[in-house]
Parts: sequence; C-alpha cells; structure tokens
Amino acid sequence: MLATKRGAYLNSSSTNTIKPRKIKNKRSGAPEERATFKSPIVPWLLLFPTLLILTAFIYYPAIKTLLLSIYQANLILNTQRFVGIGNFTDLLSSPAYQQVALQTLVFTVLTVGIGLLLSLSLAYLASRPIRGAQYYRLLLIFPYALSPAIAGTLWLFLFNPDIGLVNRFLEPLHLARRWLDDPFLAFGLVTVAAIWKGLGYNVVFYLAALQNMPTDVLEAAEIDGANASQRFWRIIFPLLTPMTFFLVFTNIISALFDSFALTDILTRGGPAYHNAGITTFLIYQLYEDGFINFKIGTAASQAALMLLLVAGITILQFSLGERKVHYGS
Amino acid sequence: MSLQFAAAQTTVEFWYSFGDAKRSGWVQARADEYNKAHPGVVIKPVYKGSYNDSLQATILAGRQGKSPAMVQIFEVGSQLALDSGMFQPISSIKKIDYSDYLKPVINYYTINGKINSLPFNSSSPVLYFNKDLMQKAGLNPKQPPTTYGGLLAACKKIQAAKLGATCFGMSLNGWFVEQWMAEQGATLLNNANGRQGRATESNLNSPAAAKIFQFFKDLKDANAFTYSGKLEDWDGSDAIFTNQKTVFHITSTADIGNINAAATKSGFKMGVGVLPIPDSTKRNGVVIGGASLWISKNIPKAQAESALDFALYMTNTKNMADWHKLTGYYPVRQSSINLLRNQGWFLQTPLQLVAFNQLLKTVPSPATAGALNGAAIESRKDIEEGLQKVLSGTPVDDALKETKTRVDAALKEYNSNFK
Amino acid sequence: MAHNTKDLSFKQSWLTHLVLIVACLVISAPLLLAIIKSTQISSDVYSSKLLIGTAFIDNLQKAWVQAHLGRYLLNSFIVTILVTVGKTVLSLLAALAFVFFRFPLKGVAFALVLLSLMLPTEVLIIALFDFVSRDLKWADTFTAIIVPFLASATGVFLFRQHFMNIPVSLADAARIDGCGPFKFLTAILVPMSWNTIGALAVIQFVYVWDQYLWPLVIMQNDQKQVIQVGLRKLIDVGGQTDWGTVMAGTVLAILPPLIVFMALQKQFSSGFALADEK
Repeated sequence: MLATKRGAYLNSSSTNTIKPRKIKNKRSGAPEERATFKSPIVPWLLLFPTLLILTAFIYYPAIKTLLLSIYQANLILNTQRFVGIGNFTDLLSSPAYQQVALQTLVFTVLTVGIGLLLSLSLAYLASRPIRGAQYYRLLLIFPYALSPAIAGTLWLFLFNPDIGLVNRFLEPLHLARRWLDDPFLAFGLVTVAAIWKGLGYNVVFYLAALQNMPTDVLEAAEIDGANASQRFWRIIFPLLTPMTFFLVFTNIISALFDSFALTDILTRGGPAYHNAGITTFLIYQLYEDGFINFKIGTAASQAALMLLLVAGITILQFSLGERKVHYGS
Repeated sequence: MSLQFAAAQTTVEFWYSFGDAKRSGWVQARADEYNKAHPGVVIKPVYKGSYNDSLQATILAGRQGKSPAMVQIFEVGSQLALDSGMFQPISSIKKIDYSDYLKPVINYYTINGKINSLPFNSSSPVLYFNKDLMQKAGLNPKQPPTTYGGLLAACKKIQAAKLGATCFGMSLNGWFVEQWMAEQGATLLNNANGRQGRATESNLNSPAAAKIFQFFKDLKDANAFTYSGKLEDWDGSDAIFTNQKTVFHITSTADIGNINAAATKSGFKMGVGVLPIPDSTKRNGVVIGGASLWISKNIPKAQAESALDFALYMTNTKNMADWHKLTGYYPVRQSSINLLRNQGWFLQTPLQLVAFNQLLKTVPSPATAGALNGAAIESRKDIEEGLQKVLSGTPVDDALKETKTRVDAALKEYNSNFK
Repeated sequence: MAHNTKDLSFKQSWLTHLVLIVACLVISAPLLLAIIKSTQISSDVYSSKLLIGTAFIDNLQKAWVQAHLGRYLLNSFIVTILVTVGKTVLSLLAALAFVFFRFPLKGVAFALVLLSLMLPTEVLIIALFDFVSRDLKWADTFTAIIVPFLASATGVFLFRQHFMNIPVSLADAARIDGCGPFKFLTAILVPMSWNTIGALAVIQFVYVWDQYLWPLVIMQNDQKQVIQVGLRKLIDVGGQTDWGTVMAGTVLAILPPLIVFMALQKQFSSGFALADEK
C-alpha cells in the first residue's frame, strides 16, 4: 500500500484520463511541471522509443489511410486510380453502408447501455456485506478472461440451430429457435454475447470503485434503513459517476472494434437483412472490403470515416470529462 | 561438398488448402515420394488455411518478394489470379499435352484461349441422402429425387412422417447457383460467362435464375429447409446432415469420402444422387468446382520447372485415380477413369458413379464452362445473400432484382480497375 | 478494501443472494457447458447429455497435436509476454521524462502521446497492413505482431499519474544524493510502482492475448499464428468440426489470462483504483 495515495479512482484503460480530484484545475495537455532533472537530451532519449513507435505505427498509417481513401485501389491487382471524394460519396449514399452504420449504432447503444446497467447492479450486489461475497465477485469477473473470439466460439457451439446445445434443451419444450439465421434473433444473440463478454471487465472496474468508496458512506446507507433502490440511486450511483463515465467510453470503443472477432466467428456478419448482413458492423465491413474483396481504397475511406467517429468520441469524452468527472464530489 | 549440394538443391514451396488429415496427408505423401525420386529437389507442401486465406497469403508473400513456387487457388479466384499478374501461364514453362484431361475441367481453366493453371482437385455438387430416414418416411432410397419438384414432394412425406429432422439442408453458396444455371444451359454472366471479354452484367433477371430462387422460396414455404445460418458454411451444413438433422443434403462430390465416414460413425447409410434441377429441364451438365495449381512468375526457372514437374506427377494417371478413391474428387484425366474402370472401382462404389456420369454427360458450352469474373468472391456473396433473403421472406422478384443490382455494381467496380 | 461491517443477516440479504446466484449461474453457463462438452466423446457432444465424460485427455490431445494448439498457445505466450514487458518498460521511460524533466516542446511530445488514443489499430489496419507487409516486409514474422504494439499511451498516463503522486521532496532528495535519472527510476520509482505495473500488466496481457484482427490479416504462416486465430482454424477445418476438441481448445485458451488476472488481482485493484484514504 502506498502511503501517498490521493485523488480519485483511476486513470484509464485505453482511451481516457480521469484526473485526480485534487488537481482539478490542471488542463490535460500540460503535465504537472517538475524539474527534478535538467537535461535537454535525456528526456528525448527516454521518449524516443515510444514516439518512434507511435509515429511509425499510428501516425504514419493514419496519414496513409487518408491518402489511400481518395483512390480506387485493389490489393491483388496492385492498381490505384484517383477518385477524389468518390469513395466517400459512394459510401455515404450506399444504402448498405448506411444500414451497417445504423446497425453499429444500435448494437453499441444496446451493449453499452444494458451491459453497464447489468454490471453495475451485479457489482453493487456483490459488494454488499453478505456472506460469500468474495465468491460471487470471483464468478462475476471471470468473463474478463474471455476473448471475443472465444465468446464467439462458445456461442456458435451453443446456438447452432440444428446441432447446438441450446436447441437440444429447447426442443422438448417446443421452443427451439433459428438463432443464427433469423435476422433479429441473430442480432439479439450477437448483442447478448457481446454484453456477456464485456461483463467481467465492467464488473471488475465497478467493484474496484465500490470497494474503494468511503466505507462510512456505505455503512451509513445500510444502517439508515433507506431502501435498496434509494440507497443505490441517491448515494452510490452519483459517487460512481466518474467510473461510469470512463466505462461508457471504453465500452463504446470495444463495441466498435472488439465486436469483430465475435461476429467473424459467430455469424460472419450475416444473416442478410435488407441491404446488408444484420450483424455486419463498421469494422467488419471494413475488413470484408479490404481483405476479402481486396478493395483497399474504399476500405481506407471507411477507415477514414471511422477515424472521424473515434476522434469525435474521444474529443467528446475529454471535454465532457473535464466537467463530469467531479460530479458528486 | 555440402555447400555444393545445397546450391544444387531446388526447394519448391507448395501452398495448399486442405486442413483435414486425410487430404493433407495425401499431398505430403506425394511430395515425399517425389523428393525421394528427385534428390536435387525438395517439395515442401504447406497448409495455408482456407482458399481465401491462401490467396491472401500469396499476395502477402508476393509483396515481400517471397512468392511460393506453386499455389492451389480455388476456381472462383481464377480471374483474379490471372489479373494479379503474379503468376505465369503453365504453358510458358513447358509444353503439356492436355488431350488426356477431361473436357469440362480443362474448359473451366481455359481463359482467353490459354490454359493458365494445372487442374488438380475438381468436383461438382451432388445430392446426398440419408437412406434410413428415407425408408422411415416411406420413400425409396433407390429413387432419390432428381428435380426440385421431386425433392419438394419427398419433403411432404418426410414432414408427415415426423422424423424429427428437416427435409433438406445445404450450405448457401453461390457455387450452387452457378451449377444450376449451367444445368439449365444458361450463362450467369454476359459476354459468354465472362469468357469472351470481361463480364459487365449478370443474367440474374433470366427465367433460369428465377427458377433457382423460387426453389428456395418453395422450400421456405414448406418449412423444408435448414442451414447453420452462416453463408458458405460447408462444415456446418455437413454436420447437420451427418447428425441426421436433415434427410437430404447437397454438397460437393469431394466430400463423399468424409461424409460417408461420418455417416457410418453416426449410424446411418448414406446415398448419393444427381444434383436435383428445375423440373422439365434438359440436363446440360455441371461446372466443375475445386481448384487448380498456379505457378508464380518471379521465381527462378529451375524452381518453376520443378514445381510443374511435381504438379504433373501429383496429377498423373495413377495418382489421380488414387486421389479420387480417397476423397471423391474427380480424377482430372481420362486415363485415370479408364484405370478405375479396369480396376472395377465403379462396381464396388456405385456412389461415385453418379458423380461421374454427371460430369461426363456435360455438354460443353459457355454455360457449363462456368462463370468467370474478378469480383467473384464478392458477387458470390451477393447471390448467397439474395437466397438468404428469400429464405427470410423477401419475394423472389425483389430479391433477384436487388441481387442483380449488387452483382452488376461489383462487376462494374472491378472492371473500372482497368480503366 | 473489505468492509469491516458485519455481514447482513439472511433476512436482509436473501434476495441479493438469489439474484447473485442466478446471475453467476447464467454467466458461467456457457463456460461450464464448454468444460463438460470438452470431456465427452464426439457422439455425446451433440447430445443434451450433461455428464462429465472421459474423453478430455483425448480431445485435448487432438487439439494439441492435430490442430497445433500447443504451438498457437506458445506463440501467443511469446508475443503477449514480450509486448507486455516492452510496453511497461517504454511507458516507464516516457513517464519518467514527462514527470521529472523540464524540456522544450514537452507539450508537443505529450500531445503526440495523447492523440494516439484517438487512433486504434483496427481503424488503421489497411494502411498498417500496406506499410508492414510491403515497406517493412514483416509479414509472417513475430515482429509484425509485437513491435507496433510496444508503445502505450495508457501506460504512459498511468505511470505519469502515479509518479505525480510521489512527493517532490523524495525526488529532490534523490537528486541531491547524486542519483541519476536511471538510478532514480530503477532504485526508487519502480519499487514504488509495483501495483501500477501489475495493473498495467493485467490489462495489457489480456489485450494482447485477445488480439485477433491484426494477426488474422498479417500472419499467414501457421507456424507463428496466435491462439485466437488458431481457434477459428479449429472450427473451419474443411471437414467435420470436432466440437469436443474445439471446446477443449477453448478451455485451454481461457486459462492464461485467467491465471494472470488471479495472480495480479490485488495489484490490479489497488493499482487502478487509487484509494481515497489519506
């Protein structure tokens, strides 16, 4: 245990900084100044490996993506033809792409919304002073060890319409369903699988936040006789706002990207519904156009659009974060 | 001494796509034999995942300047492989006598009058049926349905028998639609199936295409169809059949060996019949499917020659007959068929005979040569999604129209790469 | 931070128990079924039988040998360990620079690290593929799935925040004692940062272990493929999918991140959730 701990809950996992409450007036762009060591060269040497890798494998590809997005290009043929904003207008006016974008939105809202609500409730219950709480916690967080690919594999096995285990159990009850080829069921299945997969991660963070909450507050709440839901919404939920805020953003990012392995294994983006496969999300479409159909120009313009999206989300997060984080303190 | 030896050695990497022990073991065994007989050459067969994976792997390797000498590329990737410029026509390496090769097979791989790749594993679709379940439903396993109508009629009996199994299931794959078009003597793409010039339009607005889509509508309406829900899920649809969840199944002849083994394990007798086609249609025959062997362009001449020599060895008369016995793929040579006949093979295994006759009775035409286009991976998926939509309730006409629009757009997009 | 309060009585808590028991069952069900099915012989796998079978070793062996699962796991191990260690070291170095040095253009450098959060690898995949395969010619090598992931904005931020909580006096004392930056890092900062290091290690281990899309496109050499993509190959064998074997493989693939997480759980909680106690 460190003697010097102060501040709030955490920093970040992948996209976020929530700053300690104690230094609330600092802007994120300006690290706290400390000049323990004075040398103009050593810090650059220390930063060199990180900056080199970021430049080569993040910034350079980002620029290349933008450049490639104005060409029609085929990976196999090795051809490039300048089309200007042609790829973008094609995409944005394509009913298939519009549908994919909409599906991604619905999927994201559902997984993030339901996923967080569920994990928050479960984490809260498991952090109450009850017997055996540590075992519940353990069982709730183990899905953290599940990868999206493994989740897809498990669910594929379970929900195969003809030979899957779930229908085997449901057949005697006449409740067997076409899990993977009915568009709505398949979409629902992918959503539930994603929520299930994300549960462990969310519960871990909520549990950490709950366990680090001032114990007197929780005790007071238990003794107070306030009923469970009052206690939860009036006292606990506001205190968890920074964590919820952080999780909302990491969950959005994981819904956008981690869904790839899940859908690739479980549904391959299908089944077809109107203009596109109903579980084809933005990242899957990008992969399919780039690496199955080898149309890297249009794939790059999809990447450019996704870059805008992620940048927008990140900016929103930072600007909201500045204000929201301290809510309830 | 050892240095000299190393310098004299030619290593030939051969990338192929058979994941199962049986077929990959066969390829490895041929390579071992060949290596023993040719001390200066090392053939190294490497499994590269699915056809799509190995195509991608080949591109990657090409970009690194480390192309494998020889790659097995699936039929539908032929135009793309040709357009990629990464391969050399085998005819430019050595003159080969093609007179022994089966016409429908060689027709498929003849592009612009040139044979670019060496046919290897060839197959066509057939009807598989569960004899035990047919009997239970009061159907005669000796007379499996041969038409759409016949199949649908059988489905009625099967449903009435309440077997706890769906009548029919197959993997949704554009390949089957290509077959059914060919059987009807219709081309799927314009410009003679893309063989007299790049295809610019699909013939999905033809009556022939409508019959195929209507078949799926009828199946859906009769609750007679099932599949795993995923497109091109060969393994998944095989599993449904071998677990006795369907009575009828359509898939490639290449699976006769594997499915028969699985059927035996699962405790039922399997039969094989001709591919059911639209009612009152004259059979024009099938398009072959499978893959051929392509040889890379930017490799030393010695390597290319050794690769071709091995390819010819692997597909010689005896080996092709052997390959056929093991897997169910057609031997690509007439002499292999003669050999099999002399050995009395077809008397022992009537299962395979069906497939053979289907192929040998094929009428050569642009329709049965098979559709060729560089966006075939995409256009196949468009067609599959079209069928899938019919299965989930979209009217046949709407589905066809939409599919045609998408396929045509894919063709146009691909062709515009060459502007 | 366990509560010191007494456990609630049964009367007060039965509903909580009930909800949690149901939730735990539902959440564990897919994995439990996978474990059960991984022990059954192939003819039982598709049935609704839920008894532990005798074929686990057999299934495991099939997965391990025939499907090269052993190799995939080893590959994943190598890659995951190297990336996790590399990220930790690089992040420590960068955080040291940001917190304990004053230098020109610090803001620019910091912004460069910060902005990288906006650019997930998945979005860059087309151009990254182009760059790594054509320009660097790294396709089919471990380098391709290790090096691009060695820098971590998350790690830099995490360590930076942790370092900023270290009293100024301590750093000054170190400097007065003639401690150079590297000595300071290894002798003082690292020993004080084990919790943060542990927390970062867990997150990065799981993140790298789970990688799927990038190895799927850049690694076409089966000898060097990672476990997540290997699982997909186990399903798409081009023949009969042997689900008993797939389930055995799945169970195995879950173990390493689970073990790492369990081992570092304490560090994870305290490294991440800086307590609000003074």
